[in-house]
Amino acid sequence: MGPFILFVLDLLSAAVAFVTSYYAYRTDRLADSPLLKAIAFGFMLLGVGLLTEAGTSVALGQTLAEAHISKLLGVIATVAYLSTQMVAYAVFAAGYGLLAFGRSKAAMVPAVAVVGARIIDFAGLYRFAVLSYFVVLVLLAYIVFQGVLIHSKARSRFSLLVLLAFTLVMASHAILLASVIALSGGLFLIGASVQFFGFLSLLVFLLRSGRVGAG
Amino acid sequence: MGQAEKQRSALRIHLDILNAVREEGDAKPTHILYKANLSHDRLVKYLDELTGKGLIEVHQDGENRHYIITPRGVSFLIELRRAESFIQGFGLAI
Repeated sequence: MGPFILFVLDLLSAAVAFVTSYYAYRTDRLADSPLLKAIAFGFMLLGVGLLTEAGTSVALGQTLAEAHISKLLGVIATVAYLSTQMVAYAVFAAGYGLLAFGRSKAAMVPAVAVVGARIIDFAGLYRFAVLSYFVVLVLLAYIVFQGVLIHSKARSRFSLLVLLAFTLVMASHAILLASVIALSGGLFLIGASVQFFGFLSLLVFLLRSGRVGAG
Repeated sequence: MGQAEKQRSALRIHLDILNAVREEGDAKPTHILYKANLSHDRLVKYLDELTGKGLIEVHQDGENRHYIITPRGVSFLIELRRAESFIQGFGLAI
């Protein structure tokens, strides 16, 4: 039952991620902004990562937290999922960094990718999983911090919904990190559910911002 | 970001002009000038641009000129408003 629930949650979250990526891409064609490019690319990566996790959970009949300790496919899927997640959130963080500090911080994205690759080199898969969730958590903390700054300036319902989405995703990653440390499938499902609510908040944002134009 | 705040983008000006024309239905240049907060020279430049793109139409009534938004202009305006609210969520502005 657990893997099926995870499959559904991941599938729906991936759909929202792809729609967000498409909206960001379409808006970037009009507004041309590095942050929008980062959002489009980052959400596309997140969507791919979530689909990987969804497919693997169903194929193995286990959540990734359980699967990565036993089967080769689980190992590959875990590395693929965690890497895409890490790069995706690094891209978001770099995008927000560019918004806050200007173009000079463009080196952040490759730097984070290199650090990620080195972690795989010297650490085992378990440690890689723990470290990557930790890295994602730190990146999300930075993204949420930027979101708070943006919302305190903008005070718009749209910035609030985006902030809520990233805050829920950050909370979910704290739970997911705990689940990987404890190797708990149940905790992993709770984390995935909280992440799903984060994507749900993003969906509300997309629907509301889409409705504005017609008014 | 500071520069973006100080200087309105062309897209923002397009949005302001289209909003003004749509709001009035049949807008005189002075109304657009006031609503879009532009100098006369810049207004003429942007009106020519929007007319050339088929987003607004000019109607000559004796010596008076009126501007009307076209269906294409309405679609573009809706797209711009959607884009504006989408990027607001991420702390950006058109």
